[in-house]
Amino acid sequence: MAPLPSALAALAAPYLERQLWYQSAIAGLPPAPIELSNCDVLRDGRPGLSRLLLTQGSRVFQLLVGWRPATAVAGVLKGRESSLLGSALDDAEPVLVYEALADDELIIDLLEVVSGGTETAERVRRVSTLVSHASVVFDERLFMKLYRVLEEGERPEAEAMFRLDSVGFNAILAPVARWRDHGFDLALVREFLPSALEGRLLALTSLRDLLAHASGSDEHGGLRYGQDVRDADVETAAAGGDFASEMRRLGTTTARLHLALRAAFGERTMDAGVLAAGLEGAAALPEGTPGKARELAELAEEIAQLGKGAVGPALRIHGDYHLRRVMRSEIGWIVAGFADDPLYATARPHPSLPARVGSPVEDLADMCFSLHRVAVEALAQRPAAEAELAGELAAAWERRNQASFLEGYVTTPAARSLLPREPATTDALLAAFELVRERRYEATPSEE
Amino acid sequence: MTAGEAVPPSGLWSPGGSGPASSGHLVLPGTGLVPGPVEGWRPLSDDPRWYERAVFYEVVPRGFYDSNGDGIGDLAGVVEKLDYLAWLGVDCLWLLPYYPSPLRDGGYDVSDYYSIAPECGTVDDLARLIEEAHRRGIRVIADLVINHTSDEHAWFQESRSSRDNPKADWYVWSDDDQAMSDIRVIFCDTESSNWTWDSVRQQFYWHRFFHHQPDLNYENPEVREAIMQVVRFWLDLGLDGFRLDAAAYLYQREGTTGENLPETHAFLQRMRKEIDRDYPNRMLLAEVNQWPLDVIDYFGQGDECNMCFHFPLMPRMFMAVRREQRFPITEILAQTPPVPEGAQWGIFLRNHDELTLEMVSEDERDYMYAEYASDPRMRKNLGIRRRLAPLVENDRRVAELLHGLLLSLPGSPVLYYGDELLMGDNIYLGDRDGVRTPMQWTPDRNGGFSRADFAQLFLPPSMDPVYGFQSVNVEAGLRDQSSFLHWLHRMLGIRRQYPVFAKGELEVVPADNPSILAYVRSAAPAGGIPLGAGPSAEAGAPPDNRAVLCVNNLSRFAQSAEISLGRFEGYAPVELVGRTTFPVVGSSGYSMSLGPHGFYWLELQGG
Repeated sequence: MAPLPSALAALAAPYLERQLWYQSAIAGLPPAPIELSNCDVLRDGRPGLSRLLLTQGSRVFQLLVGWRPATAVAGVLKGRESSLLGSALDDAEPVLVYEALADDELIIDLLEVVSGGTETAERVRRVSTLVSHASVVFDERLFMKLYRVLEEGERPEAEAMFRLDSVGFNAILAPVARWRDHGFDLALVREFLPSALEGRLLALTSLRDLLAHASGSDEHGGLRYGQDVRDADVETAAAGGDFASEMRRLGTTTARLHLALRAAFGERTMDAGVLAAGLEGAAALPEGTPGKARELAELAEEIAQLGKGAVGPALRIHGDYHLRRVMRSEIGWIVAGFADDPLYATARPHPSLPARVGSPVEDLADMCFSLHRVAVEALAQRPAAEAELAGELAAAWERRNQASFLEGYVTTPAARSLLPREPATTDALLAAFELVRERRYEATPSEE
Repeated sequence: MTAGEAVPPSGLWSPGGSGPASSGHLVLPGTGLVPGPVEGWRPLSDDPRWYERAVFYEVVPRGFYDSNGDGIGDLAGVVEKLDYLAWLGVDCLWLLPYYPSPLRDGGYDVSDYYSIAPECGTVDDLARLIEEAHRRGIRVIADLVINHTSDEHAWFQESRSSRDNPKADWYVWSDDDQAMSDIRVIFCDTESSNWTWDSVRQQFYWHRFFHHQPDLNYENPEVREAIMQVVRFWLDLGLDGFRLDAAAYLYQREGTTGENLPETHAFLQRMRKEIDRDYPNRMLLAEVNQWPLDVIDYFGQGDECNMCFHFPLMPRMFMAVRREQRFPITEILAQTPPVPEGAQWGIFLRNHDELTLEMVSEDERDYMYAEYASDPRMRKNLGIRRRLAPLVENDRRVAELLHGLLLSLPGSPVLYYGDELLMGDNIYLGDRDGVRTPMQWTPDRNGGFSRADFAQLFLPPSMDPVYGFQSVNVEAGLRDQSSFLHWLHRMLGIRRQYPVFAKGELEVVPADNPSILAYVRSAAPAGGIPLGAGPSAEAGAPPDNRAVLCVNNLSRFAQSAEISLGRFEGYAPVELVGRTTFPVVGSSGYSMSLGPHGFYWLELQGG
């Protein structure tokens, strides 16, 4: 037996309303009651586990709840008492109901359910909890994303992961299991590489090494620009922490990603006019620096003049490609995840194309902009006295690594077929998409 | 000896005397007084797998110590320095070629397999060296150059003399130089082909290295038997094994790379089988400069070579430090398959050759040249001909970090003579002689290496203002308790107390900072829980199952990191040098801070 769905729903509604992630998810939406749309018992008995699908207006939420006799709960929650929903009757006996993510035993049960019984684990580690999903690591081996905010149809990340896997693209955290029910993706289990690190950390390590050249560049007899520092570009290339070969490898991985996406999802012809219209739209947005808006509008005009097929193909792209989305591991670079948060759908520069379909150059521009952001971030850590020299070095680092990334991309076999025929067109698209990314960042600095 | 054992701070092993020094006594400098016998050295172990735990020390006999004042180091000179090596913590000497040779390749061009170059001594000298080394618990292996001989070797002279002499097929001859043209030329700086024309026999002969080093023809059973006789000759004398030079190239065949052929493995397995049968406790260490996946074949099923060098790891240690991130090391470790039972890697930082960059990508090679060999004179073939200290710009912390890695990563460490002093090199000498300059014993004439006139010396000792013998020498290192020499001696002692360093599993521990490389060495299989011995282990009989956490900061800046020690929850890390107990590992990430290029070895106690 299990507590009645209505009883669980009655406990779930106030619980949800107390959660910050839920409040963020409904921010700006018209008020509506929380209603239970589905309740599935995943484990009967004690402890027990049920899955609730709840709606609030157009939003659908997933909440996993567990229950145990009151005397057993304290030892299980161990400091996660805020996960308690309340008490209910189970088979006429009182039990305490709580969010199941707080219970190691139930999470392992859940893994078994999600994987269809092919996976189990001994140790559970909870990692980041974001608005749209919670994440759990099992035995430092498997990583489960449990979606909280659901999206009808296929979750883009789960879809992309499995499709990429099916065409043999191995620079991803290999998908292990996908949990779908009632028309929703509910959870995704992937391989976990414990020693992999996000690209941003490696980039910052490289910059730390380089910017140390600027240490004490004023009063302590350290390096002085124009004297000890030969030339920012030369210095950057000679630095021990040079990141260029890594970025070249990432460029290759990115090209392989795009080729695999094309193999998995196909491609279509991109119309320059449609693309330019999207760019003009981005230029017309009120946020951001007016000068950059003008620059973007000019580029859009230039692109609009190009003939049919001149801007290269449109295909399924990553869509939010930056140094936090890629990880360096012992087997090279891997694409750690795809932006698929339904709460943060990215504005499209060309809205007439299907979601997540666009020019591969968009992803390249995203990564180039990401290198810029890391440079800015590293510079912010340096004392103001070093700003001039550090700024020169950081700019040189950005140039060098962007160039290496693009070189790695274009020199990958077959990668040129992903780009416009004319290199000048690629450059124009790159500049335009970088401006779009920059303006988007100016509008929402926390977006990356 | 143990790490904490006192050593005479001003002690010095007699640079010239043979009596006291060779019998394990110390002579106080300037007094001639013998303060009495030191505690006895460790006995030679009877462990047939001694090499798995050994610390090797590579000696260039001609450059180590000159006992007879002729300006050239010799085997008797090595005998005189055995006490020093025993004190340092060396378990096995690896002698570079001592055979008669025209010395056009540092002795790797042997002209007689059955004797010793006169300047190096006699067969009796070697026998005495082996005996004296064994008395100090030190084993001795020697280079065996079996792929090729010198062109001055009698075998080659006979072979070239005609096409039908008894040794006509002892080398690889051809009427044209286009055969096997796909096989790469290794010494690409000096050789344009693997074939060289012989005007006497009017044919081309095959050589994978210099043109004056013709390859033996292993297709000929007489050659195989002749080499086995050489092996038996030296093992009968008491050698503990061989370092097999150029082991990958014994056979060559059209349509192949001429490397790692099955026939080569078959011959090495035969050699191992005969050695195991007739000579217990001996070993073979293969020089195979290949990727780990290829090298692993040289272990066979535990029935081929006992040890192989792990070449690709070495440049990546340097690369990781310069890039300040761990991936160059963890990447190659991930590509390194487990070795069969009874097999062991040989790992090293530097040796008598160039810092080879054959096993890196072109990108990585360019990077290494830019960072470590800005002067073209520093480059040789596909490598960098420099010693450790100049490579790291004489940075003591980097040298310690690199040795910390060397002593804690899987494999038996191989030290290169003089690196324990942080000796320098001389890039103005030809070929690889720049890293083979005389050992620096004292600040006296010729660095205490030889009493001969300077002009007579085998190679000039370093008189560099930074690395020269006036300041960098054994005597100075021994007097200074904080010297690198003393530090290394202590670390070797600590390493000896923890057998997991030698044969434990390695488990890379995730760290959230790319500059931090953390790993656990434990007796348990990866994923299992090591048996915590705790501090109550009986003195003198440390259990073999204590796990050690090694945390290395590859950055020149202080770093903090959170490392995932989940499966060691409840264990208390105890630092191995100072025995300081660190906070107990909890359920969440373990936070650590390390100084620039700092590293910790921490025993994980309890649980």
